Amino acid sequence: MSNFLLAQLTTPNADVTVILPEIVVAVAGIVVMLYDSFFPRQKAVSGAIAMLGVFVSALLLVLMWGDSFSGSAWSGMIAHDNLRLSFGLVFLMIAAMTILASTLWVNIEGVPTGEFHALLLFATFGMMMMAAGNDLVVIFLGLETSSIATYVMAGLRKGDLRSNESALKYFVLGSFASAFLLYGMALVYGATGTTNIPRIAASVDSANFPALLLIGSAMMIVGFGFKVALAPFHVWTPDVYEGAPAPITGFMAAGPKAAAFSSFVRVFVLGFPLVAGAQAAGILHETWISLLAVLGIITILFGNVAAILQNNIKRMLAYSSIAHAGYATVGFVGAGLAKTAAERNEAIAAVAFYLFVYAITNLGAFAIVSLLGQRNDRRADFEDYNGIGFKAPLLSFSLSVFMLSLLGMPLTAGFIGKVLVFRPALESGSVLLVTLVVVAVIGSAISAYYYLRLLVVMFFRERAVDWVPPKVPSTLTTAIAAAVIAVLYFGLFSNGLIRKFAGTTPKAAEVRAER
Amino acid sequence: MDLIANNLLTILILLPTIGAIGAIAYQAVTRSDEHQKWIALFVTVLNFLISLVLFTRGVPAVGGFEFEQNVPWISAIHTNYHVGVDGLSFWLVLLTTFIMPLSVLCAWTAVEKKKTAFFAFLLLLESAMLGVFVTLDLLVFYLFFEASLVPMFFLIGVWGGKNRIYAAVKFFIFTAVGSLLMLVAIIALYYIYAGAVNGAGSFDFVEILAAMQSGKLILGPQVGMLLFLAFALSFAIKVPIFPVHTWLPDAHTEAPTAGSVILAAILLKMGTYGLMRFNFAFFPDQARETAWIFITLAVIGIIYGALVAMVQPDWKRLIAYTSVAHMGFVVLGMFSFTELGMQGAVYQMLNHGVSTGALFILVGFAYERRHTREISEYGGLANVMPNYAAIFIITTMSSIGLPFLNGFVGEFLIMVGMFKSTILNVTASANWNYVAAMAAGIGVILAAVYLLWLVQRVFFGKVTHAENKKLKDLNAREIGLMIPLLIAMVVMGVYPRPFLERTDSAIKSIEARVMRSAGGAVAKTELDTKALENR
Repeated sequence: MSNFLLAQLTTPNADVTVILPEIVVAVAGIVVMLYDSFFPRQKAVSGAIAMLGVFVSALLLVLMWGDSFSGSAWSGMIAHDNLRLSFGLVFLMIAAMTILASTLWVNIEGVPTGEFHALLLFATFGMMMMAAGNDLVVIFLGLETSSIATYVMAGLRKGDLRSNESALKYFVLGSFASAFLLYGMALVYGATGTTNIPRIAASVDSANFPALLLIGSAMMIVGFGFKVALAPFHVWTPDVYEGAPAPITGFMAAGPKAAAFSSFVRVFVLGFPLVAGAQAAGILHETWISLLAVLGIITILFGNVAAILQNNIKRMLAYSSIAHAGYATVGFVGAGLAKTAAERNEAIAAVAFYLFVYAITNLGAFAIVSLLGQRNDRRADFEDYNGIGFKAPLLSFSLSVFMLSLLGMPLTAGFIGKVLVFRPALESGSVLLVTLVVVAVIGSAISAYYYLRLLVVMFFRERAVDWVPPKVPSTLTTAIAAAVIAVLYFGLFSNGLIRKFAGTTPKAAEVRAER
Repeated sequence: MDLIANNLLTILILLPTIGAIGAIAYQAVTRSDEHQKWIALFVTVLNFLISLVLFTRGVPAVGGFEFEQNVPWISAIHTNYHVGVDGLSFWLVLLTTFIMPLSVLCAWTAVEKKKTAFFAFLLLLESAMLGVFVTLDLLVFYLFFEASLVPMFFLIGVWGGKNRIYAAVKFFIFTAVGSLLMLVAIIALYYIYAGAVNGAGSFDFVEILAAMQSGKLILGPQVGMLLFLAFALSFAIKVPIFPVHTWLPDAHTEAPTAGSVILAAILLKMGTYGLMRFNFAFFPDQARETAWIFITLAVIGIIYGALVAMVQPDWKRLIAYTSVAHMGFVVLGMFSFTELGMQGAVYQMLNHGVSTGALFILVGFAYERRHTREISEYGGLANVMPNYAAIFIITTMSSIGLPFLNGFVGEFLIMVGMFKSTILNVTASANWNYVAAMAAGIGVILAAVYLLWLVQRVFFGKVTHAENKKLKDLNAREIGLMIPLLIAMVVMGVYPRPFLERTDSAIKSIEARVMRSAGGAVAKTELDTKALENR
C-alpha cells in the first residue's frame, strides 16, 4: 500500500494533455477577465476571446475522440470516455450559443461584458469538470465552480429586483442542495472507503454499512435532483428562470442541467451498477432505479401540467425544462438497466444526444425571447406575440421550429432525441419503465397544448397594436440560424452524431449499405 | 424513364416539398404571391402524371411490393427509408395525387391572404400523405404520419373559419395523443423483434411480418393486445371511429375548402389504411378478438353520424358528419374479414375520397359566393345556378350510393361481405353478422334522407333570399375541376373491375393472415359449422 502511494507521489500520473480542453476554457476565462481590466468597454473583443477559447477547446475535444481510450487519467480522477467527450461538446456548444445570443442584451442593458464572459467560461469549465470527474471530489468541485458562476450570472441585471431575487433564491437553495450532495458523498465514502467511482462500483457489494450507502445515494439523488430540477426538487426553477435575463435563463436551463445529468449518470449508472449475484448492490441498484423512475413520472406530469397554466413564455419554458429533465431521466434510468456495456453506452449517448438537442433548441428559443422581450424582458407574455407570425416570418418560423422540436415532432431533432431516450427504457421491458415511457408520451401529448399555443398566437391571431419587427444583430442571427439548421439537420441526419456519442463504429455490412 | 421508375416513390414524396420551397423562394425573390398557385398547380399536376407510372408494373406477388426502395436512414438505430407499393396502397397513392391538383384549383380564388404560405403548406401536406401510404418502415411511417399534422394545423388555423383556433388545436392534440402511444408500441415491437431473432431490432414492416409468419416472433396475448390497442387507438382517432370522432366536425367545418377536401378525401384514409396495413398484419388474433367492438362502433358511427347530420343547420358540418357515417362503412367492411367486405372497404375509401371531396368543393363554391354556410340562407338555387345544382345532385347520388355511381359498389360489397362474414357470434336465435349488415343498411337509407333533404332545402323551391337571386353559376375553372371527379364517380360505378383487381391479392393475403392464422383457422371452422347448422 505504501509503495503504491509512494509511486503515485513520485511519478504522478498528471497528463496535462488529457484535460487540455478544460484548461483552455479556464485560461480563456482568465484572459477575458484580465483583458477587461486593462482595456474596459471593448465588448466585441472579450466576446471574441471567449468564442475563440470555446472553439479551440471544442476542437481539442473532437481531436481527442480518435484516441484509444485509456479509461482514466490523473490517478483515476479524470475519466476519459465518450460520456465526458460528448457532454463536453454539449457544454461548449451551449457556451458558444450563449455568447452569441447575449450580445444584444449585453449592449442594451450595459452589462459588464468582461465579467459576464469570464463567468460564463468559468461556469463552462466547471461543467466540463463535472462530466470529466471520475471522482466524487472532482465532480463536487466542478459543480461548485459552475454553480457559483451561475449564481452571479443570474443576478447580473443588478438594478432589477426580479433578477436579484432570482440570484438569491438560486444561491440559497443551490447551496442547500450542494450540502445534501456533499453529505451524500461523505456517506458513500464512509461506506465504501473511496471516492473514486470505478472503485465505488467495485466495492458496493462489500460495503461496510449497506444502509449508509443507501442513505448516501438517496441524499445524492436529492442534490443532483435539485440541480437537474426533478420534481419535487424543482420549486426554485420557475422563479429563477423568470427573473434571470433571458440569455442567462437559456444557459441555465441547458448548461448546468446537462452538466448535472452528466455527473448524475456517471455516479449512478457507473458507480452503483447491478453486479451479478450481489445482493447488497442489487438492493441499491433496484432502489435508485425505481426511485428515479418514480421521480421521472412525477416530474414529467408536473412539469407539463404546470406549463399549461403559464402566461409568461419564460415561465412556460421553465416548466417545460422541468418536463424535459423528466424525459432525459427516462434514458438515464434505461442506461441503469442496460444489460451489456454496449447497450449502456448507447443509452448514455442517448441522454447526451437528448440534452444536446434540448440545449440547442432551448437556447435558440431563448435567443428569440430575449430579442423580442426588449429591455428587462418586458414583452415575454403570450399576448405580446400576438400576430407577429407573418410580420416577422423568419423569426416566427425559427421559433416554431424550436417549439415543434421541443414537442418532439418528426423531422426535427427533438423527435430523434425522444426516440433515442425511450428506446433503452423499453428495451429493459420492466413494467415500471414501460409505465415511465407511457407517462412520457402522455406528457408529450399534454405539452402539445402549450407549445402550439405559441404557434397559435403568432400565426392565428391578429395583432391589435402596431408592431415593428426588431432589428436582429448579426451575432443573434448566427445563433438562431445555427440552431434552426442544427434542429432540422439532426432531425434528418443524426446517424453520425449518435454513433460518435455512443462510440460505436458501424459494422462492415452497414458501412457498405450506407454507401 | 428508368430513373423515374426506379425512384418513383421518392420523387413523388419529394417533388411537392421542392415545390413548396420553390414557392417560398419565389416570394422571397419577387415579393409577390400572385403566381404561387400556378407553381402549386404545376407541381401537383406533374406529380399526378408521374404517379401514373405506377401502372407500368403489374400487381405484385402476395406479400410483395413494387417500386421498392430500401436505404439506411439512421443505421445507429436500424431504421431505413423503405418504401414500396402494393395493392392496398396503390389506389390511395393515386387518390392523393389525383385530389391534390383539384384542391389547389378549388383554392384558386378562395384564398385571399398569405397565399404563398397556403400553397406551400398544401404541397408539404402532399409529401407527408404520400409518405404515409408508401412507407414500410414503422418509424418512418410514424414520422410521416405525425408530419402531416403540422401543415393541416396551419391550414385550419390560419385560413379557417370563425372557430379555427379551437378546431386546429383540437385536431392536433387528438391525433397527436393517439399516435404517441403508437410510437411506444413501435419501439416496443423493435425490441420484441430483437429478442425473437436474437439480434438487432427492426422497424421494417416486411421483416417483422416475416418473423411473425414464420413463427419466430410470437406475441404473448397480453403484450399483443396492448400493442394492438396502441396502434388501433391512433388509427381510430384518425378514421375517426365513434366515439373519438369529435375533432372531425370541428376541423372539417372550420378548415378552408381545400383543407376540408384533403382531410376528407385523403387524411382520414390514413387511419383505415393503417388499420389494414399494420393492425391486421401484425395482430391478426387481436383483430379477430376485438372485431365485435369495432363492428359495433362502426354501426353506431354509421347511424349516429347520419342522425346528427340530419339535424345540422350548417351545410358544411352536415357533410362533415356524413364522413363519420361513411368511414363507419369502411371500418365495418374491414372488420368483416371477408374478401368482399375488405375489397368493399378499400373501394369505399376511394369512393369517399371522390364523393365527399367533391361535396366539400361544392360547398366551398357556394360559400365563396355567399359567405355563409347556413342551409336556411339558401333555397331555390337550382333556379339561379342550374349547372351547380346538377353537379351537386349527381355528387349527392354518388354519396348516397345510387347504382351505376361509385358509392353503390362500395356499400354493396361491404354489406354482402358483412352478411357472409363469420366474425361475430352466430347463435341459434340470431346471426349477429346479419344484424350488423342490416343496421348498416339502415344507415344507407338515412344517408338518402339527410342528403336528399339537404338538396331539397338548398336547391328546390323558390329563391327565398334576395341575395341569392344574383348568384353566378359555376365558371369554367369550377366546372373544369369538377369534371374529373364526375368522371371518376361514373367510371368507378360502372366498371369497378380494374380497381378491384389491383387490390385483390393484397386483400386476399390480409384476409388469409387474419382468418387463417394460428388461432384463426380453428375459430373459422367452428363458426362455419355453427353457421351451417343454423341454416
